[in-house]
Amino acid sequence: MSGDDVSPDPTPVDHAPPALADLVCAACDVALEPGKVEASYLGQTFPVDLPRCPKCGFVFVSEDLALGKMLKVEQALEDK
Amino acid sequence: MTCRPPRLHLGLTESVCPVCLKTIPAERIAEGDTVLLAKSCPEHGSFAVPVWRGLDSWVTWGSAARAFARPVATATEVEHGCPQDCGLCPEHRQQSCCVLLEVTSRCNIACPLCFASAETHGADATLAEIDGWLETLAQGGRNVHVQLSGGEPTMRDDLPEIVARIRAAGFDFVQLNSNGIRIAREPAYLDRLAKAGLDCVFLQFDGVDDGVYERLRGAKLMRLKEQAIANCGAAGIGCVLVPTVVPGVNDADIGAILDFAVAHMPAVRAVHFQPVSWFGRYPDANAELPRITLPEIIAALIAHEGGTIAWNDFHPGSAENPYCSFSGRFRVDDDGRLQPQAAAQSCCGTPIEAVAVPASAPSTTGCCGGTAAKAPAAPVAAPASACCGTSRPKSDAAGPNAAQPAIVSSEIASPDVARARRYVAGQWRRPASTTEPATPGLDAFDRFLATQDRILGLSGMAFQDAWTLDLDRLRQCHIHVVSPDRRVVPFCAWNLTAIDGRPMHRPQHGQQPQPAASVAAADKAGL
Repeated sequence: MSGDDVSPDPTPVDHAPPALADLVCAACDVALEPGKVEASYLGQTFPVDLPRCPKCGFVFVSEDLALGKMLKVEQALEDK
Repeated sequence: MTCRPPRLHLGLTESVCPVCLKTIPAERIAEGDTVLLAKSCPEHGSFAVPVWRGLDSWVTWGSAARAFARPVATATEVEHGCPQDCGLCPEHRQQSCCVLLEVTSRCNIACPLCFASAETHGADATLAEIDGWLETLAQGGRNVHVQLSGGEPTMRDDLPEIVARIRAAGFDFVQLNSNGIRIAREPAYLDRLAKAGLDCVFLQFDGVDDGVYERLRGAKLMRLKEQAIANCGAAGIGCVLVPTVVPGVNDADIGAILDFAVAHMPAVRAVHFQPVSWFGRYPDANAELPRITLPEIIAALIAHEGGTIAWNDFHPGSAENPYCSFSGRFRVDDDGRLQPQAAAQSCCGTPIEAVAVPASAPSTTGCCGGTAAKAPAAPVAAPASACCGTSRPKSDAAGPNAAQPAIVSSEIASPDVARARRYVAGQWRRPASTTEPATPGLDAFDRFLATQDRILGLSGMAFQDAWTLDLDRLRQCHIHVVSPDRRVVPFCAWNLTAIDGRPMHRPQHGQQPQPAASVAAADKAGL
């Protein structure tokens, strides 16, 4: 193997994140809507826009977000 | 007439004789404001050297919570006692956090100070041997950090392939311990390392002028250091400056090193100070060996900043013995001054465990109650420990050491070590803001990640030599080395040398590694 073509195995992606129009709250049987929510971790609060149920307030966090940007924020907040 | 200040007994431990390396009782004592490790060898006399200067911080560091955990895997039995039986042995009290792979014994300079006693000639580990080491670590079952070390690892043209093999084996943080010469001269080589998955360069960086490098490394290296850092920035690799601090050589440069780090952020992510330890190669073991201790480095950093940071912004490591290290994270303001970064605390006084969703988990979730969204709380690897407890499984029987040591596994991972790994990886690799594109609606996350560019890590680790070795500390060590015969040995034991340069564990040039028990038996026989 030459040095130019070595790279770590890419993380497998099972599926693309679902579109907002495809998301339904299982408990309320209501379509999710984009809305302001407050994400909190270790005392920090972040106002962000995420799909949420207009009826019960449940929030959808995609796997992509949970394992990506949100995880990086969490890791940055953690301390030794 | 002079009077020696009164001595205060602080505790008993064990150490080794610097002459014969036999294990002997030792005592920690305070003399004035200095903590000494004192010991006597029946054959070679008494020794007392400073290990900590500052009783206030000694008490503070000593009150830190102690984390212990049985190694995930052990490969040697307890036969001759610590530090002779390293493998790890069942009496070791902490798991691996970072493991060094010494991929070559060659180096492109011959530093007057070198813990590995590396020469310009030497040998490389084969790829098959390196695969074997990775297998040993994988048998341990945990995702340790891997540091490529040596010798100078960049002497190898196939280093990118080694990095790729480590990443393909599932290890998710790889750092390169380097003097920076080749990565300064060959940015394309560094790009290949980055593409292969290198996260961080752990850069030998003793000062900001050539005079320091001429004394400690035998060459003018400052221009190359600056170029290496610039190349790391361009390649998207985090850079940690690693000064070896030697009294009378560069201890007055601690503030200048800090200023340099600030000026070269975000390519520079941290400074990791290492007080000089007298093992491996150094000029004269019979001369007085000057020492600087961790609190003196902290004091120099605080004094340099002139009041914006304080002692309580630094804390001991929570996975290793507290007297082995310090760390702190600081926000650098627009004027280049350090401001303390408040540490997040959980109910236990230590940060809450990270949470992440396994790749196989369903992607629909996110009930956080009300309008607060939190990360889904599926624990990584599901450690069987409570948030307030530290894993300490019962000791299992371990197999005898051999060329292919028997592995006895524990299924319980140390949450303290896992947290230490996350802390290091989070601070030392390239900041996420440079790799995560902005996302509409998630501006608050983006703004927060952008602030991480301006967070500087300041830490220090005190390695132990034959004079300062405290076996209580060594048993808690979580920085390990894989030996050629696939044992896992605490760093300070691996590098331990007697006053005449004789190593306890590391094979000398041209010498085949021996199991620790064989070395001990030969020593006993006077060979």
